Amino acid sequence: MRCEQAGEMMSAWLDGRLDSAKIALLEDHLAGCSACQAEWRRLQALDRLLISAPMVRPPVRLRVQVMARLSRRDQARRAIIGSTALALGTVALALLVLAPALLGLLDVTGVAPALISGGPATVAQLLTFTGAMGRALLVLAERFAAPLACLSLCSLAVALALNRLWVGAVRRVRAAH
Amino acid sequence: MTNEADWIRMARAGDQSAFGRLVMAYQTPVYNLAYRMLGNAAEAEEAAQETFLRAYTNLRSYDPQRRFRSWLLSIASHYCIDRLRRRRITWLPLEDEIAVAGDSTNRLSSSQSEVAKISLTSGSPNPEAVVAEREREAYIQRLLAGLSPTDRAAITLRYWNDCSYEEIAETLNLTVSAVKSRLHRARRALAETMEGETDYAL
Repeated sequence: MRCEQAGEMMSAWLDGRLDSAKIALLEDHLAGCSACQAEWRRLQALDRLLISAPMVRPPVRLRVQVMARLSRRDQARRAIIGSTALALGTVALALLVLAPALLGLLDVTGVAPALISGGPATVAQLLTFTGAMGRALLVLAERFAAPLACLSLCSLAVALALNRLWVGAVRRVRAAH
Repeated sequence: MTNEADWIRMARAGDQSAFGRLVMAYQTPVYNLAYRMLGNAAEAEEAAQETFLRAYTNLRSYDPQRRFRSWLLSIASHYCIDRLRRRRITWLPLEDEIAVAGDSTNRLSSSQSEVAKISLTSGSPNPEAVVAEREREAYIQRLLAGLSPTDRAAITLRYWNDCSYEEIAETLNLTVSAVKSRLHRARRALAETMEGETDYAL
């Protein structure tokens, strides 16, 4: 047996992973090798030292701090989700409410002539096209003004209902903890 | 009676109090691993907290076929190994290397004062025994500090978490034979360092 192999076996012996046949082999080697005897003594001394070192007690506040950090993180996450939903809802609502006004702005017929005289032909064509589209949309908007207003009110009601549901859910989650 | 599998299932469903039970059950092994890896109580506490937060966040990726303890210790080991590697980079800029090398006695005394702050589970009323125990603690932490982060993790898992070779291999993503040779190499290095010091050798 080589000394390097004996060294690995010593380590395995300390961990209780050496069968009796191998222990006998190692003991034979140790009996005739003073270098390995010295190493075995060193490893045993180290083993005794490490085994004698007790487990340390974690601070009592550890669990409390983990739980506090978890709930802070959850609250922050809920706040982000809530505010994002609220912001998106507000934008959607604003778009719906302002739709007739925005469509009105697209009617650029009054401004177009001045731009056409100064700008290149492509810009003029683009503006004419935009103007035509705007007028068409305006006609549509005028025609559907009542349904659009109705839709705005409906979406406002839906947004308010969703908001109430969300607040209720957050309260229930808080109450559960 | 609620068992561990139920706590894990409930925690996965978002039940924080069930996760609190798991923290209670595993805080000692996780904290001890972090303490032996990082060498001081303050960093160990931060590492243990971080381990549990990461565990909670990644609870859905936990495979119930695996031992929960191994999974937690794996998170803790990798966190501590990363921390030790970063510490090595940030603590030893070139111009400070000589100063730090000459300042090893100061580092030892600061680690002793850190050790003095921790509470040992085998509380002894005898003041002399307490002092001896603290000195031994500081000595062990100094010995461990000489190992590479992964060897240090292997030794810590073996001695303070009572892990088998298979569990160490699973925790550190190594093969069983790699664990065996790492433990041997680490022990040999520790024993050689120890031989130079008369107090604890033989």
